[in-house]
Amino acid sequence: MITPALQLRALAKTYGERTAVAGVDLDVAPGEILGLLGPNGAGKTTTISMACGVVTPTRGEVMIGGLSLARDPYGAKRRLGLVPQELALYEELSARANLAYFGALYGMSAAAIATRGDWVLGVVGLADRDREPVKRFSGGMKRRLNLACGLLHEPALLVLDEPTVGVDPQSRNHIFETVRALRTAGMTIVYTTHYMEEVEALCDRVAIMDAGKLIALGTVRELIAQHAGRGLAIEIAGDAAAAQVAAAAHADVRRDGTTLHATPHTGLGALVTAIEATGATITRIESRQATLEAAFLALTGHALRDDDAPAPPAPKGATP
Amino acid sequence: MIAAAIWKDIQLLLRDRGTLISLFVLPIVFILAFGAMFSGGGTSPDVARPIAIWHPSASPPGDAVERALAATPGFTPQPLASAEAVRAAVAAGAVDAGLVIAADTDPARGHPVELAIDLAAPIQARAPLTGALTAVVTRALGAPAGPELVYLEARQPPGIRKPLPDISGFQITVPGNAVLFGFYIALTVAMSFAGERRTGTWRRLLAAPVPRWKVMLATLVPYYVIGLVQLTFLFGLGAGVFGMRVAGSIPALAVLSMCVVACAVSLGLLFASLGGTEKQLGSIGSVILLVMGLLGGCMVPRLLMPETMRSIGHIVPHSWALDGYYDLLVREGTGLADIAPSVGALAGFAALFALIGLRRFRFET
Repeated sequence: MITPALQLRALAKTYGERTAVAGVDLDVAPGEILGLLGPNGAGKTTTISMACGVVTPTRGEVMIGGLSLARDPYGAKRRLGLVPQELALYEELSARANLAYFGALYGMSAAAIATRGDWVLGVVGLADRDREPVKRFSGGMKRRLNLACGLLHEPALLVLDEPTVGVDPQSRNHIFETVRALRTAGMTIVYTTHYMEEVEALCDRVAIMDAGKLIALGTVRELIAQHAGRGLAIEIAGDAAAAQVAAAAHADVRRDGTTLHATPHTGLGALVTAIEATGATITRIESRQATLEAAFLALTGHALRDDDAPAPPAPKGATP
Repeated sequence: MIAAAIWKDIQLLLRDRGTLISLFVLPIVFILAFGAMFSGGGTSPDVARPIAIWHPSASPPGDAVERALAATPGFTPQPLASAEAVRAAVAAGAVDAGLVIAADTDPARGHPVELAIDLAAPIQARAPLTGALTAVVTRALGAPAGPELVYLEARQPPGIRKPLPDISGFQITVPGNAVLFGFYIALTVAMSFAGERRTGTWRRLLAAPVPRWKVMLATLVPYYVIGLVQLTFLFGLGAGVFGMRVAGSIPALAVLSMCVVACAVSLGLLFASLGGTEKQLGSIGSVILLVMGLLGGCMVPRLLMPETMRSIGHIVPHSWALDGYYDLLVREGTGLADIAPSVGALAGFAALFALIGLRRFRFET
């Protein structure tokens, strides 16, 4: 039996009365890229913070490559690289100096840091800027160096927390290419993001979290098939109870404001009749695409991005 | 790992002009300004104080001086049982000065009244007191018969180490500003923790295979080293450029400085444990440190302060540090044993700050 690269067992974290993570069970297979999706406050960052030993769980267990983080924290942590959401760098120092310090944290020798540093700087495309202070770097370059610092000690498991926030398309693509190359080289990657497109383009499997719970797990295709399907978005004026419409039309119906999201089983006519029978008026009917976004919406009841930030440009290789 | 942390923080410090200025340039400005002030002399404090006095019973000059002292506003005669008791009271710091009117006292015959006073005390504190007591004694013993008559002779009581001759103002301003700005490393320590949290490097540290106590040490030890470098620089500058001299033991000076920096770094940990952003820590912390410095006598020597303020000064480590430095810089032959109270108090403050800081500090936020 292959030992999972990461195992979370009944992992939970509470802060006083507030439950941030409510018992997450998850296995990440060696060599896979697992996307961790969820809206703000879903518990993603707390979950990966516990997985990395940054936050102590209230209960549950974390195993990294078969080593318990609680019983052998240093052995387990050596197998893991964290790329935090923040630009966790010393901006006054050069890229090399940053790598030297973070390498020393992992007990790497100066020679190993130099050799391995050459490699990671080459991987992230910063080999020619390695002596410059990081503060002179663009946001995208800083993100790439952030990634390099997490890779320096050759971890078997890499945790990327929102690695493309605020970067230009060129750097985003560079990060994607790096992530794909790392997976090809056998590295296991846990990738949290707000961007559905990134998950669809990169991840073998997706875990969706909401309100501190893991609510779905599977490949993008599986999640779409199970939770999105093809359906209709029906704008209505007036009041129509979703349950009443669903019963009358033999359809799956969910209401979101003035929109009814419906997957009819017996045809559109029955659905229209059922809605009009409630006294509501249909103002618009739209065919809904079967996307991960739709699956996410179906699972959580709300959109992934709860701000007005525009979606990032589609990465190379993204599913149209 | 600690060496890597030291190297990293030194590189960061060298690139941080603001911190460099506050640690190394501002003290020089203060040393120069306060040095110039003290070179011009000080002002007399207008406070009543007890003056120890002894004279043989039924001694006309003794009775006259005691009566004159009692009649002088600002002084209270405190009769003691012997001349030795007067000198011991001065040596113990129970009184600022004492008068010994021996049986053969007669200024006209070259036997003046003895003024027991700490000759190593700052001239700003000693001179007004000496002048006022000379006037009292002169008035009590009759009008001066000639300018050559000496009515009062100041002597160092046994039990107090002699001062260096020709003490300059820099003997006071160098340690005063070194302590004031040495404690600013506390702010740098606290802001370093806040900065690590803000930038996310703290998460990297916690995710690394390093015990948390080592993470803590890796953050504190570099600043301990920087603090020692700062004090060495300031005292070296004081000695090399401003003519400051060390009257006591250099190893004792080193031990005291190590205690001062330990205390400052522990205070930084305490500040960090209170939380807050770098801006909050910068604004609130700098005010707290300035007040501590003021109470501790970094800007104005505590001997020039009213008695109550002098006592209050002991609640801050700065005063203990300055007492130790003053003895080491001014009193000849001062060794580690002489400054043991200062070393002990600073070690106690450091332990207290560290204990509270460690109890309150949260690795996880």
